[in-house]
Amino acid sequence: MAADKVDPIHQFHITKLVPINLGHYDVSFTNSSLFMAATVIVATLFLVMASSGRSMVPNRWQLVAEMSYSFVANTLRDAAGKAGMQFFPLVFSLFMFVLVANLLGMIPYFFTITSHIIVTFCLAMLVISTVVIYGIWKHGFHFFGLFVPSGVPAALVPLVTMIEVISFLSRPISLSVRLFANMLAGHITLKVFAGFVVTLSAAGVAGMAGSVLPLAMAVALTALEFLVAFLQAYVFTVLTCMYLNDAIHPGH
Amino acid sequence: MDPQAAKYLGAGIATLGMAGAGIGLGTIFGNYLAGALRNPAAADGQFGRLIFGFAVTEALGIFSLLVALILLFA
Amino acid sequence: MVERPTDANPAGSRLPPKDDNEARLQQRLERLGESLEAHRAAEEAANRRGKSSGFAQATKVASEFVAGVIVGAGIGWGIDKAAGTTPWALIVFLLLGFAAGVLNVLRAEGKVAEAGARLREPSGQETQRPNRDGDRSAP
Repeated sequence: MAADKVDPIHQFHITKLVPINLGHYDVSFTNSSLFMAATVIVATLFLVMASSGRSMVPNRWQLVAEMSYSFVANTLRDAAGKAGMQFFPLVFSLFMFVLVANLLGMIPYFFTITSHIIVTFCLAMLVISTVVIYGIWKHGFHFFGLFVPSGVPAALVPLVTMIEVISFLSRPISLSVRLFANMLAGHITLKVFAGFVVTLSAAGVAGMAGSVLPLAMAVALTALEFLVAFLQAYVFTVLTCMYLNDAIHPGH
Repeated sequence: MDPQAAKYLGAGIATLGMAGAGIGLGTIFGNYLAGALRNPAAADGQFGRLIFGFAVTEALGIFSLLVALILLFA
Repeated sequence: MVERPTDANPAGSRLPPKDDNEARLQQRLERLGESLEAHRAAEEAANRRGKSSGFAQATKVASEFVAGVIVGAGIGWGIDKAAGTTPWALIVFLLLGFAAGVLNVLRAEGKVAEAGARLREPSGQETQRPNRDGDRSAP
């Protein structure tokens, strides 16, 4: 029945659940907003419930919560040093948000918010504006010394500075594009292979037999996507830590 | 022909130049990989030249992208 | 693991014997902290190198490069729009963005130090560059 309507892009459509208009702006509550709220609720509930026991010998839930805590703490401490730990709430929230959003997106019929570039771009802009604002607040004008490399002939300094500025500005783009592209490509591939199964099995007994191959592929891809969901959350966190390191130590 | 349509067609045709850059990059990285597999010890030392070749080749591709962007936006 | 106590003991005996235990303990603790830190950093680096799959690395490098070009073109287009200098700013900034993209790729591969790190220890980079050149000309 749905064989002729397999559309791999359809899962990314945004639908308005509660239309709201503020002045000229459309601030409707969409399925994207719903899943963002769900992500926050799931992450919060998980951490609160898991850490409420506070037993010396942790049960499984508490162990997972503690592992994610120490994992992010170690990453941040390695990249940005002890001074970076003041940003731990931000980094841990980002990690949990991206991770839970990616994992929620793996549930069939659920919406993957990180497969929309505006969401990942906003997360990346949050990181970069934190870096810039903290850097300027802490180091003042000295922060811009990040863009002026030393040991370059004076004639080349404007050119190299320009390149460094563009390189700095390209960080939020690459940070967001990476997460977005991975999630988008993964979910489209998954849907395409799942679509093969539906189309083939509609074509009689031979098709049913042939659909075993794409089914196996879809199962393997699901496993891969779980890995990618975790890996991309980790990569996002590591890069956040590295950029924060620039704000904390922009050179002495 | 509608000048607007001609502009878009021209931009599309200009991006075909990126295909040449793609072929060039394939040659560069393929040959690097072939050389690196023959003599892995020398591979790291040649990384700078690899990136140099990549940059020069990709710069020519960027020119065609530039032409397309100028046709579209300038 | 076996090395740490033997490493710490001669250092401890090197101190004057009447030195109070507190200072020695502190020193030993510091050294232990340092070596733990180094050990963890090395382990982390080894893990990271081994774990990142080929696809992840490819998307990383490609997005770094494309982001540089996109940002350069965007800045140039914005300047053109604001100052009416079409198409010159676009040309210049697209090429600068390309250079920034190559720089991003080199940074992602760890072949060029981070901007901050280079500022912090400019001598480290100076010593590294001739070394690589020497390697290159040797074979």
